[in-house]
Amino acid sequence: MPEIFINGKPYQAEPDQTVLQVCRENGIYIPYFCWHPQLSVVGNCRICMVEEEGRGVDIGCNMPVKAGMRVLTESDEVKEHRKAILQFITLNHPVDCGICDKAGECVLQDYHYEYNGAPSISSDPKVRSTKFYDLSDRIVLDNERCILCSRCVRFTSEISKSCGLGIEERGDTSLVRPSTDGSFRNDAYSDNVVDICPVGALLSRSFFYKSRVWYLQTTPSVCPGCERGCSINVWHRKQEWHLQSLDTAENTSIARVTPLENMAVNGPWICNKGRDLAKIFERKRAEGAMAKGKPVSLAEAIAAARQLIVGAARPVALVSSWGSNEELEAFRSALGASFTSRVKADHQPEPGEVVEDDVLIRADKNPNSARARELFGTAPAVIPADADLVLVWGEGCDFSKIPAGARIILLGSYLAPENGHADVFLPISIQTERNGHYTNFQGVVSGFEACFPKAPGVVDAEAVFAGLGGAAS
Amino acid sequence: MTGRKILMDFEVTPTSHTLEAYAARGGYQTVSRVLREMKPTDVTKEVTEAGIQGRGGASFPAGRKWQVVDPHDGEPHYLLANADEGEPGTFKDRWILENAPHKLLESMLIAAYALGCRNTFVYIRGEFDLPYRRLQAAVEEAYKAGYFGEKILGSGFSCDIYVFRGGGAYVCGEASSLLASVEGIRGYPRNRPPRLTVKGLYQCPTVVNNVETLSNLAWILRHGAAEYRKVGTPKSPGTRLISISGHVNRPGVYEVELGYPWRKFLDEDCGGILGGRKLKAIIPGGISSQVLPGETAYELMLSHEALWDVNSSLGSGGMIAIAEGTCMVRLLQIMLRFYHHESCGQCTPCREGMGWAHRVIDRIVAGQGRPEDIDTLIRISKFNDGTTICGLGDAAGYATVDFIKHFRDEFEYFIEHKRSKNDGRLECLPEVANA
Repeated sequence: MPEIFINGKPYQAEPDQTVLQVCRENGIYIPYFCWHPQLSVVGNCRICMVEEEGRGVDIGCNMPVKAGMRVLTESDEVKEHRKAILQFITLNHPVDCGICDKAGECVLQDYHYEYNGAPSISSDPKVRSTKFYDLSDRIVLDNERCILCSRCVRFTSEISKSCGLGIEERGDTSLVRPSTDGSFRNDAYSDNVVDICPVGALLSRSFFYKSRVWYLQTTPSVCPGCERGCSINVWHRKQEWHLQSLDTAENTSIARVTPLENMAVNGPWICNKGRDLAKIFERKRAEGAMAKGKPVSLAEAIAAARQLIVGAARPVALVSSWGSNEELEAFRSALGASFTSRVKADHQPEPGEVVEDDVLIRADKNPNSARARELFGTAPAVIPADADLVLVWGEGCDFSKIPAGARIILLGSYLAPENGHADVFLPISIQTERNGHYTNFQGVVSGFEACFPKAPGVVDAEAVFAGLGGAAS
Repeated sequence: MTGRKILMDFEVTPTSHTLEAYAARGGYQTVSRVLREMKPTDVTKEVTEAGIQGRGGASFPAGRKWQVVDPHDGEPHYLLANADEGEPGTFKDRWILENAPHKLLESMLIAAYALGCRNTFVYIRGEFDLPYRRLQAAVEEAYKAGYFGEKILGSGFSCDIYVFRGGGAYVCGEASSLLASVEGIRGYPRNRPPRLTVKGLYQCPTVVNNVETLSNLAWILRHGAAEYRKVGTPKSPGTRLISISGHVNRPGVYEVELGYPWRKFLDEDCGGILGGRKLKAIIPGGISSQVLPGETAYELMLSHEALWDVNSSLGSGGMIAIAEGTCMVRLLQIMLRFYHHESCGQCTPCREGMGWAHRVIDRIVAGQGRPEDIDTLIRISKFNDGTTICGLGDAAGYATVDFIKHFRDEFEYFIEHKRSKNDGRLECLPEVANA
């Protein structure tokens, strides 16, 4: 373990580390654009300059540690170099923060305030380049804002392996461009390049001009798109920025989804499906309880369901693999004894979707299959012909397979024709309206938190089970 | 005459480049003796003792570069001859490739033997036509004669050679981007560490030497390091091929023994300056070496140490003579245009700085210069010095700073009067000179 000195203080380092890594581990901040913990080192932005005493300045991201080396991260020379590098970077950068989606979370903006702050010393015209270049139906590219850090290029060649992006031309007219075979358009992880872009060059179409980031807050959550259960941040409007007029639905809708770094599960990446959770969660919601299609109050519906359970001889339950660990436990403790329980796959792969790959995406498109099977076994979700009561929890049930005479209790979140046919329908909350945990296929438990309040008529499944509990006794 | 000859030691005839002619001059005898009698480490020792410095620009001792590579470490090693001669003003390797390709091939065999390389490459500049054809023909001749391939000359040593044509980028003459180009990826220079002798081509230890450096090896191994040391000066042994162009009466490629007086070289060997003018300035070794005023150059001898003393270098040996009356502002403009065009665009200071400097100098030449422009140019150069991945940014900076240092009055005059202090020409027409 070599010991190195940073700004005069000794630190322990691993022999294969670089100065930048040691600094990061010990909370000494060194600015960087092109360096990324998951990507190879190219050292092209040159802003992570540090001074090795006696040897002058060099980039910290490619400086291997040597025992006894003395590094300065805030010397006058280092500061002067950072300032110069920022002058070079902003020389041809349009500085159009006012209309840039990245403003507020832009590394270049931060560094400019932190390390330069001076107006440009150049009065020559900037190099013009393409704006709104169509990279895919998800991403647009603004080449003028691009600082050519090549993170996106390295991401597609090293992480998503689509090799979908490259750099064309040279010098200050270099351009990030997609490969001609169109592989970037089919890259299932392409949206990550928007996150890792240190400036506003790569922009997500779904978030394009939608909101300033400082109006938004993040809530940690788990992607329910497959059994990987990637940790995500759900971005939604801050309470103090809630709209009082215009489209108030904005207040309770997902602005965007970004990865939440979780090295045990997904690292800093998620797939494009995880970005589109709004498509899943913002379908039309069922907001009132019903009995045989007639609106009833929640209390009446729960009472009716209790009646059905008490009267049933051979009740069967189709348990949701989208239920949280807590809900699954609640179901088992309340109703596990009275029902024959089967785990149901709520979602199947959609046409055109990447079913499975060796990066993150898994074939089982349900987030909590692992825990559900642990509690209720792996028997197939087949309803016995002699069942006289079927409790369906969540989506994905083929109602034609339910025996003709059987009564149905349905717990659902979205508007569906089956809701009205069920003997009792109970509207339950969705993942963004409650707290809970999922267990992924590796056994890693990740938690999600509520982003939005529930509609008045909607109830948590956990509360439903508590209300139904004891019906059989 | 310019001293003893090592490379130009024969008369150039229409057939002097062929294997037959080379063999008649004693060619390939050295390599067969080396393969029979010497151990690889002995060869490296000999080269280190000879003290030959790199001829590509950096003048780093070749032997010290080689010592990093252990020929017996079991890893694959690669040897590359850098024939991507792109430095403006330099056309000396071209002479070797056209007239003495077998000298290069024999020397590469010796080097490959010393370094334990099974495969060697010549990275030749894409624009070279005759040199490529001559080299390719020489490679074919050498294969036919059994100098390359399996078990060369009955020894246990096998070696193959590939001629790789570049795509026309100046930056690919930089060793690490040259390797990237050979690997088939974008020709971007690579960060050091690791050095190329540790991780180079295909992540294996690799030695990249200039064509001229390598071509000297056959002579060194034939006559011995001690004999080589007798040529040149104690600190810079050997000879240099100098390709001189610009305002001299007899431009061309000359082999100059190091330590040869510069004045004599210019006035006698090169026939003096065009039109009998005074020498205003001279770029000693390609435009990436620092420009020297004429009167300084006249007092120096041609050796590495003499030029280092005046903060310049013999660089790549591409000498450009600049006669009195040439506009230095316009000359710098042309140089910065070149650097802007050839900047690979990988790292920030060079990518943005070259374009910036080019736009500033363009504006000065267009008569719209501002007094602060000179400081801007110096500032761009300062922050390209040592902050870039490769030497392109540094080189452009040195050129700019030295032009301004020696000829600041011309820049100030141009900015103030919106025209050149001279007639604004770069040409030196004899009739104008006589008038």
